Amino acid sequence: MNGITFDGIFFAMAGAAIAGLACCGSAMGIGIAGQAASGVVSEDPKKFGQALLLQALPGTQGIYGLLIAFVIMNKIGLLGGSGALDLTMVQGLYIMASAVPVGLVGIVSGSAQGKAAAAAIMLISKRPEEVAKGMVYTAMVETYAVLALLISFLMLNSIQL
Amino acid sequence: MAIAKMNKLAVIGLSRDQNAIIEALMRLGVVQINAQESKLCDEEWNRLVQKDDAAKWISKWDSELDRIESALELLDRFLDRKKPLIRERARISEREFDATLEYEYEIRRQMLKLTRLARHYNHLIFRENRAVTARQALLPWKSYDVPSQEYRTRSTQVWQGVIPGSNDAADFLKILAEKTGYADGEVIHSDSEQHYISVVFYEPAADEVQAVLRDLSFNRISLPIESGSVEEAIRDLDAQLEEYRTEKKSVAEQVRSFESFEPTLKMYHDEIAMRKDRAAIREKILLTDSTFYLEGWYPKIAGEKVEALLREHACYYEITQPKKGEETPILLLNKSIVQPFEAITKLYSLPAANGIDATPFFSFFYALFFGMMLSDAAYGIILTAGTFLIRKKYRLEGMLKQMVDMFFLCGISTTFWGIMFGSFFGDIITQVSTHFFGHAVHFPTVWFSPINDPMRLLFFSLFLGLIHIFLGMGLSARMAIRDGQPLDALFDTGFWYILILSLIGYLGGGMVEGIPAAVTVVCKWLAVASALGIVATGGRQKKGILGKIVGGLGSLYGVTGYLSDILSYSRILALGLATGVISSVFNTLGTLAGTGIMGVLVMLLAFGIGHPYNIAINALGSFVHSCRLQYVEFFGRFYQGGGDSFQPFCENTKYVTILKEEL
Repeated sequence: MNGITFDGIFFAMAGAAIAGLACCGSAMGIGIAGQAASGVVSEDPKKFGQALLLQALPGTQGIYGLLIAFVIMNKIGLLGGSGALDLTMVQGLYIMASAVPVGLVGIVSGSAQGKAAAAAIMLISKRPEEVAKGMVYTAMVETYAVLALLISFLMLNSIQL
Repeated sequence: MAIAKMNKLAVIGLSRDQNAIIEALMRLGVVQINAQESKLCDEEWNRLVQKDDAAKWISKWDSELDRIESALELLDRFLDRKKPLIRERARISEREFDATLEYEYEIRRQMLKLTRLARHYNHLIFRENRAVTARQALLPWKSYDVPSQEYRTRSTQVWQGVIPGSNDAADFLKILAEKTGYADGEVIHSDSEQHYISVVFYEPAADEVQAVLRDLSFNRISLPIESGSVEEAIRDLDAQLEEYRTEKKSVAEQVRSFESFEPTLKMYHDEIAMRKDRAAIREKILLTDSTFYLEGWYPKIAGEKVEALLREHACYYEITQPKKGEETPILLLNKSIVQPFEAITKLYSLPAANGIDATPFFSFFYALFFGMMLSDAAYGIILTAGTFLIRKKYRLEGMLKQMVDMFFLCGISTTFWGIMFGSFFGDIITQVSTHFFGHAVHFPTVWFSPINDPMRLLFFSLFLGLIHIFLGMGLSARMAIRDGQPLDALFDTGFWYILILSLIGYLGGGMVEGIPAAVTVVCKWLAVASALGIVATGGRQKKGILGKIVGGLGSLYGVTGYLSDILSYSRILALGLATGVISSVFNTLGTLAGTGIMGVLVMLLAFGIGHPYNIAINALGSFVHSCRLQYVEFFGRFYQGGGDSFQPFCENTKYVTILKEEL
């Protein structure tokens, strides 16, 4: 019964969708940082470049999500010309599970990194010469998105189809 | 060697030579003159000396600088020029600079003309704004034909005013007529917000009429007219505005005629700025009746020139080495290949005077990590070529120059790793050749492809991380030995080296076949021994047996810190994958529209948008994460920051660089 409604491909695609949810985190993070950036630039338009750099930092979670989603779609043959592979439900569930770290962590770390980026933008409003320190503080958050990406990628890589 | 050695200089000279010496020191530009507040507090010194007072001169040159800047701003506004991407300082020989400033009186006269023009221009703008506001206020009243001299006659008054647009104007007139027999209103104009109404009333009944008007929320306004009708006034204002416009044009024309004067004015600006600096430095000089005293730092390598200068001016001077532990200003001196990476050190914090400059040690790793993270031959070539062109085109200075040079080196590293990992715009060559020409051509992969074999790159990254961290620990040990604490070096670094290596041997040896069991056993006992050593020595600073034991165990717990630090280098793999996979996403998108003309167009579009985006976001990521690996994992092991930068008293100019003729 489950072979028809919920086949492996369905779960694998659900996995790609979960990975894609990391974009939520980036959207929130970039939004938060953007609000702070606009405030700072309203005082001093010359800080636009620096503020933009910091605002871009929470964007990577979305990229990591896209990366895993793409690898999943590639793995199950959705992107090649030869059509989707025939997956068992268990294989599909494996793939879905492997997408959870990057999707879930992406949401949390994206918005958390956005807050750190917003604070770093406040920092450059007072001390523009310290932009590198603001960047490093912001990048500390990203470590966990990077780890989640690695977990997802290595899990996915070890699934044999 | 990487932090320049500083010597302390104390000079006593005759007051009549003071200006000449200050000028000569500024030209030489290698001595940092220190403030002498502490000497003034010292009883003994205080009896002998007083501070030189230059406030009058500083404010004089400051206001002159303000004038020059407003003149330059005016020129900038009216001279139609493209703003250069990077501001360069013009290079001028000393002789030319001095020759230009011979005519200082004339330069100043021209500059004052410009500032007068600036004032005139601002005044015109002010009057123009006033006229525009008045015109806007009058516009709704355009059809109102009562001349202003008739607003008040012997027995009547005419008021103008507005009621809110939401009120009905006809109602207003009706109620006005009903409530009082002494007034008559007329609606002149209505727009969505207000009705503009003129009311004429019998003067003796003014109070009664005004009460009614108030109830009707009539708001009196006074029209900005001196005489005549509204229409005439508007015509006058139009004429005025036209006049202001022509006047502004003529000012602009006059300003433009000063174009050839601009370079001279910039030199004058820098001359005045230097005079101000020379005046300001006098605040740091102590005086007696006929002598002066100054104190400062200079880098040891410049010693000969400094001494020659002082001898030439017949000063008494004394040179001392800094005392142990004394804070000296920090100047970084590095070989040209690693010098660009000083920018990364400065972005963190300059090393403390008793620390070490990490630049020569991490430069190689910085470029290595950056290259592995961006890891695309095409991106590397773009980065290298781009920074090369910028260096060719512009004469950069300071931090910006270091950053551009650093990205140049990182670009080379990126190209290298792109070739190693077989990535050129991701897999564009494979995609295009397969899609459009039907047979796959691959960009050669010299080593291996991280997308196909991520575990290999993961272990390689962690291995590099291990070396990087060990280097940092080694530097910490070196500092301990230099400070005469070789045991600290053994306890805090040596034991950890043994522990980490033997743990890797013990845990890793079991997994790999072909390693004799004896090796694992040796590693196991080495690990136990070094761990015991760490527990025994980690708490040696603590008091009491209990404190020592707890401190030792706490220090052994630091093993988790080493573990997470080494795992942190896995980001090299993750960022490398991000670049590679994102570029293949764009390349794949490009192949989705078939092979016809549309297919080619979509390919070009995906390429043209996708790759610039990917370069930008991943170069930023590589920059930030390479920095992080240095700052957190590497610097954390040994680095002592917080040094003050060496700020020599020199020709600190904004627009021109004055080239010295070598003697």
